[in-house]
Amino acid sequence: MTNHRVRRPGVRVDFDKPLTFSFDGQAYDGFAGDTLASALLANGVRMLARSFKYGRPRGIVGIGPEEPNALMQIETGAHTIPNLKATQVELYDGLVARRTTGWPTLEFDLKSVGGLFSRFMPAGFYYKTFQNQKLWPKFEHIIRQAAGYGSAPSEPDPETYDHSHRHAQVVIVGGGASGLLAALLAGRAGLKVVLLDEQNECGGWLLSSPQSVIGGEQARAWLKSAVGELQSMPNVQVLTRTSAFALHDMNLVLAVEQLQDHLPIADRVAHQPRQRLHRIRAERVVLATGAIERPLVFGNNDVPGIMTASALTTYLNRYGVAVGKRVLLQTSNDHAYQGSADLARAGCEVVLADTRTRINPAWEKRVRAAGVDVRTGFGIAFARGRRAVTGAQLVKLDAQRNAIVASGPSIDCDALGSSGGLSPTVHLYCHDGGRPHWDEERLAFVVPEAGRAKSGIYAVGAVTGEFGLQNALEQTVRVMRDVLGSLGKSTPTSSDNLGTDEPEATPARRIFRVPDGRAEGHGKKAFVDFQNDVSAADIHLAVRENYRSIEHIKRYTALGFGTDQGKLSNVNGFAIAAHALGRSIPEVGTTTYRPAYSPVTFGTLAGAHAGDTFEPRRYSPMHAAHIARGAEFEPVGQWLRPWYFPKTGEDMHAAVRRECLAARRGVGIMDASTLGKIDLRGKDVREFLNRVYANAWTQLAPGKCRYGLMLDENGMVMDDGVTACIADNHFVMTTTTGGAARVMTWLEKWHQTEWPDLDVYMTSVTDHWATAAVVGPKSRQVLAKICSDIDLSPSAFKFMDWREGTVAGVPARVFRISFSGELAFEVNVDANYGHHVWEALMEAGREFDITPYGTETMHVLRAEKGFIIVGQDTDGSMTPLDLDMAWAVGMKKPFSFIGKRSFARSDTAGPNRKQLVGLLTDDPQVVLAEGAQIIERADAKPPAAMLGHVTSSYYSPELDRSIALAVVRDGIARRSEDGRKSGRDVLYAYAGGKAHKVTVVSPVFVDPKGDRQNV
Amino acid sequence: MSEPTMRSPLHSFGLSEQAKPIDGSCGVWANELRHLGYISLRGNGADPAFATAASTAIGVSLPLRPCTFASSNGKTILWLSPDEWMIVCPRAQLSALLGSLRQALTDVRSQVVDNSGGYTQVIIEGRNALDVLQHVSVYDFASMEPGRVVGTTFGKSSVYAFRQGNGYRLVLRRSFADYIWRYLVRAAIPYGLGIADLAGSPLPEEGVPI
Repeated sequence: MTNHRVRRPGVRVDFDKPLTFSFDGQAYDGFAGDTLASALLANGVRMLARSFKYGRPRGIVGIGPEEPNALMQIETGAHTIPNLKATQVELYDGLVARRTTGWPTLEFDLKSVGGLFSRFMPAGFYYKTFQNQKLWPKFEHIIRQAAGYGSAPSEPDPETYDHSHRHAQVVIVGGGASGLLAALLAGRAGLKVVLLDEQNECGGWLLSSPQSVIGGEQARAWLKSAVGELQSMPNVQVLTRTSAFALHDMNLVLAVEQLQDHLPIADRVAHQPRQRLHRIRAERVVLATGAIERPLVFGNNDVPGIMTASALTTYLNRYGVAVGKRVLLQTSNDHAYQGSADLARAGCEVVLADTRTRINPAWEKRVRAAGVDVRTGFGIAFARGRRAVTGAQLVKLDAQRNAIVASGPSIDCDALGSSGGLSPTVHLYCHDGGRPHWDEERLAFVVPEAGRAKSGIYAVGAVTGEFGLQNALEQTVRVMRDVLGSLGKSTPTSSDNLGTDEPEATPARRIFRVPDGRAEGHGKKAFVDFQNDVSAADIHLAVRENYRSIEHIKRYTALGFGTDQGKLSNVNGFAIAAHALGRSIPEVGTTTYRPAYSPVTFGTLAGAHAGDTFEPRRYSPMHAAHIARGAEFEPVGQWLRPWYFPKTGEDMHAAVRRECLAARRGVGIMDASTLGKIDLRGKDVREFLNRVYANAWTQLAPGKCRYGLMLDENGMVMDDGVTACIADNHFVMTTTTGGAARVMTWLEKWHQTEWPDLDVYMTSVTDHWATAAVVGPKSRQVLAKICSDIDLSPSAFKFMDWREGTVAGVPARVFRISFSGELAFEVNVDANYGHHVWEALMEAGREFDITPYGTETMHVLRAEKGFIIVGQDTDGSMTPLDLDMAWAVGMKKPFSFIGKRSFARSDTAGPNRKQLVGLLTDDPQVVLAEGAQIIERADAKPPAAMLGHVTSSYYSPELDRSIALAVVRDGIARRSEDGRKSGRDVLYAYAGGKAHKVTVVSPVFVDPKGDRQNV
Repeated sequence: MSEPTMRSPLHSFGLSEQAKPIDGSCGVWANELRHLGYISLRGNGADPAFATAASTAIGVSLPLRPCTFASSNGKTILWLSPDEWMIVCPRAQLSALLGSLRQALTDVRSQVVDNSGGYTQVIIEGRNALDVLQHVSVYDFASMEPGRVVGTTFGKSSVYAFRQGNGYRLVLRRSFADYIWRYLVRAAIPYGLGIADLAGSPLPEEGVPI
């Protein structure tokens, strides 16, 4: 195996720390400080992927998040991660990597056979082929398999993630030369600074060019002292391995910190999260995000071994890897020159083909001195080689026009780097609405230096188009003076020496696609987007097919859609589209930059919102008592409530039957603590209640309770509950469990915005009161055993009364109200005593076989009585009249009430509304499906007129038959009751392909006169 | 019939049994301050009659500056909104305080509500207390000045938070206590969580003045 390692000063891998890893089952060596990409290149691995559409061999192109080809499956089992870019995977000992493309194998990819897929898959393939959607499922499977890409783990994630909310005066994104200088200036001014860098160490491009000079010293020395100084400042936090992936409104930067991904799995600390999401609010954001070199587009530019010139340079200088021995560099600008000299000095045979005729004399002198063979005015028509590059055919270019004037030499090489200029990393600037502008001189979409200062967003360095080191540093000082000034700090006048040894830049040539002398589409394939196999010809095809907007061209060709999000390809694509459209680049513009800048794991986004902290779970004060009695629980909103209490061997049906009968014939007990409770006080509390409830409250005496319906502005029922008069100026309202917060907000809103003159205050006491409902004919006997200071006799303590007293030694409010139709007492105590009182009631009820019951039995008992549940039997479109509850509406109140006016709306007042009714099935054993549609005829075929639907349906143990509630058009008039037939009462309930015959009746199935609750 | 006994919202975690004196072995120390009295007070802070009557009855000046609290004689008054305060007191003083407040405010537009069953308090201390708070809440705790109280997020729930002594106090609703405690425990995993023994520390126990 070829060894490509070169020991050079400034290299960031540690040759004293060798590592081993595996790729596709084969063992390789590397060093600490390597990425998976650098280690693979050092081992001579060239082809490590197959392309998406054509199955073409592909290799590493980049050095970071721009990498389009080297997508890896890292590790196995539960730890496996799909589609990581090899350029971003830090090597550790024992790392296991596999390819993600190539089907059936990397060596033999079916798609590559005879251009099989290329003929089938032109631009717009999906749109053209799958207009008939029926074909898609058949093709999807095979296309997905052929296209490749990694697999998500099937096991639960063994690692954890968390979020951290930070606040800073200045956040600097990017720890290259400009970012470091910005942090130094802000840090020295005493500001609270956070510096984010996505790599394992700060330095940015300085790590790739350690021989650069800043202020008379070598860049690596400057870097070391800058980082050292930042680390010594307590007000500065430097986060490396932290990728800022989004910038949202109000300067919220989201960044993911890789805490453990760089460690061997066995060395990862179990109690530390794998990744952390930082949510950083900053007064000022300084974008020092740098730039990414874009390659030139030429024939066969995707052969393994062809990369960006900066990647070749970085692998050499940072990782000590000379990718080839004979290197051909192709450039349109000055940026490739330093690297060409470094490669030549490292012993490579280097040819530098510059598309320009007039090149930079200072650079030319330097690289020729290093032994570089410089050829001016040449471009690459196409590269040679299939699984590895073997050479390239040069052509002589016209000095001005991008056209061929003569053939050129054929150059042999085993590595090829190209530079078409730098594309600033403008993504974050654009996430919350910014747009980059085209700088024709720098041939780049850039962020303005002033950023969006009004919003506190600034930009420094290459992201603004300042590609020269010295210019960038001087600009950083200038911009930071503004940033610090805006925060009331001044910059010291004696600034650092920032002189560099760069020659002054010579203008770049405006070239994106190198001509090959043939019409687009007729020469060798020239790729723009490697990950999606989008060629220059595809963009031309899209334009020929009349796609004019770059957003449409993007979607038609899939340009920039991959996991690299077009970081290498977009600007070339925009330029080629502009050329094809005959328009300027600014006229064509860019596609939209959206978060995330680079892929983020779901685990990171979820953070601690997982497992038992996924969602708030609310518990009643008696929860432990229910667990002890074997309750099954069900979520009700955020609450977890007892559902039913099965005894050994009982299923739900049997348990509910037993519980229902106990409540109807003996005594049951239910935890009603979750009901919303609101304490209201003030002189005007009665008037306030008159306005927020449909019914009247003026006459309710202290010691009495009343049921109320709360309506929205449309006159529709939004909540209900019992409200008790504690004193003339003091009431306690109960709301539904799920509606508590909504009702509280509703009341506050109306009071604060419409009726601030009313003397009333309200406070939620939902959590203060624990509530046990003792229900059934024997409930009075149970309560009497532990309550001696309230006269419980029927004459003294009537239905809908409440009394204050002592229960089980604890101060209590006892309400004689009932959601079951039986004699019942609801005992309310300070929640700290809830468990004690529950246990005392259970003990007192033991001789009566007191039976705890849950929400299921509660539902059956209330449905037997026709009591509604708001949100189940109503859906925001039911008025009190629709519910046949005119008795709960006080139309004569002097002031209006919320919803009253809407009763007069034509539809609300009109005929044929859906109304609440009871349904009895012909077959008493059939329990209808909730949601079953009500139709007129058994043999109706869809679409049939739908008259309504079943809202509640149960088996009633008391009646020993099924019952149901439903909303049905004109339902009240259809009801047959007391032996009187309406003649329109026979309908059908349709669900799951079956229609059951039903009779429309009153919704009150048990004790229609209401005698039992009054005993 | 057994004697009435109280169960605090975090009773089921058995924190008292796990408590140990605060030392350097854990980055974060937390525990529940159980069974305090909580009174919700509403009224118009700009009305001198209300502010004076309430302050006199409590024996502590009602904090009128937004997001501040006042503490004295074992009682803490948290400003919650322009017309809402929460008074935290030892249980032993609850009934008397409710009585004197109601009496003093009889003729003043106001509301006094016993909410003692509805809330509890959690204390967080230790060298990583701030780290944990940064995990659980969006608020800038690092910049929190002494004397400030804020209502803010805690995971997907909410708390009132203020600094006192060496640490932070969270006032939270009973029904959310289980979620908040589990969330806190999870957030503290990277730093090590110790259950702080509150006896012998200058922290208020039940009925003991602060």
